[in-house]
Amino acid sequence: TPVSSRQAFPLPSLPRKQPTVLVVCGPAQNGAIGLVCARHLRIFDYEPTIFYPKRSPDPLYRDFTTQCEKMDIPFLSYLPTEVQLINDAYNAVVDAVLGAEAEAGEGREPCAAILATLKHIRIPIISLDVPSGWDVEAGSSGGISPDVLVSLSAPKQCARRFLGRQHFVAGRFLPYDVQKKFELNPPEYPGTECVVALRAPR
Amino acid sequence: QEEAQAIDQELFTEYKFSVDQLMELAGLSCATAIAKAYPASSFTASQPAVLVVCGPGNNGGDGLVCARHLKMFGYEPTVYYPKRPNKPLFEGLTTQCQKMDIPFLPEFPAEAALIDELYGLVVDAIFGFSFKGAVREPFSSILSTLERITVPIASIDIPSGWDVEKGKADGLQPDMLISLTAPKKAAMHFTGRYHFLGGRFVPAALQEKYALNLPPYPATDCVLQLT
Repeated sequence: TPVSSRQAFPLPSLPRKQPTVLVVCGPAQNGAIGLVCARHLRIFDYEPTIFYPKRSPDPLYRDFTTQCEKMDIPFLSYLPTEVQLINDAYNAVVDAVLGAEAEAGEGREPCAAILATLKHIRIPIISLDVPSGWDVEAGSSGGISPDVLVSLSAPKQCARRFLGRQHFVAGRFLPYDVQKKFELNPPEYPGTECVVALRAPR
Repeated sequence: QEEAQAIDQELFTEYKFSVDQLMELAGLSCATAIAKAYPASSFTASQPAVLVVCGPGNNGGDGLVCARHLKMFGYEPTVYYPKRPNKPLFEGLTTQCQKMDIPFLPEFPAEAALIDELYGLVVDAIFGFSFKGAVREPFSSILSTLERITVPIASIDIPSGWDVEKGKADGLQPDMLISLTAPKKAAMHFTGRYHFLGGRFVPAALQEKYALNLPPYPATDCVLQLT
């Protein structure tokens, strides 16, 4: 995910002087992936800030949190509802709120409030696996519209409704027999890259 | 050697990284560096066959991760892993390789010439920076054989058998060295063609604390070519 964020938004191209990125992490696995992404973005010289209101008790995910904290990645104590504040402070938002495992997660706080805010921001959104709030199969009706989608392992059905600029797949590490079993037919990954763009940038 | 161990300790105890996390990133760096220096298309035999020799500790674990990624990058790795720790981490890594149809040799090729014939590259994942003291069997014989092969050797972190700080003039002379986290003192004695840095996970604060003075990695690459 951080690699695809970088490909979609190379550092020199960012509009703001500081390469700030807001990473919004939900309470489950999708959020944990967001934490890992934030850490790598930091290593890649971006300036991530995390909003992680509902922290998972899972020890692995708690360690991910510690790693981010120790790398001086700030954790917001609240998400501004004033959308302009987000537009002004960050170049892009990584949506790691809800993934394919979410069931009616959209209805529960704090996700519902977060998604309501994200619907109105003007800066690009990069969604991890499933645009948060979308039904994993049917897609969205009035939900967030990400600019970039990074499908994990393989695209989910709702990816067919994705209308944004770039769609990446990060699934190089699936063993061959798993790919065959689920008839995934992934595209060729270039060189040693761990992500591949499914659609040329518009 | 102590500094390298201190950095590792901090990563585990202060930063709460798991061995799994860092080993995966380290092994991926090794495979990536190898792919850059020895592209699959450059192998003279019809298959890009690589022998990965894994030792009894973490360096061996790095080798298992490396073998798995080499497979995904289109190489044909074979692993020799004579001394396997009874720990879930290593058992898991072994299973992952086996499930990807990476063969594990029951015995080490008897002669250097046989290795030269079967493989285009050997990955030395026997001993790492924690190595101290005398080399025990079966690794002593393995290293003697490896000292006589003509195909290139890529060593992970420290050429096996070398003193971690002083090197070993009459020991293994690898063509490639992948230093993990930061080059160790032994790297000063490295005379091969390719020296890469891997393990792009050291937070800036740690780099400063230990004055690592690492050059910047390019873009989102997980390896940096030093020579």
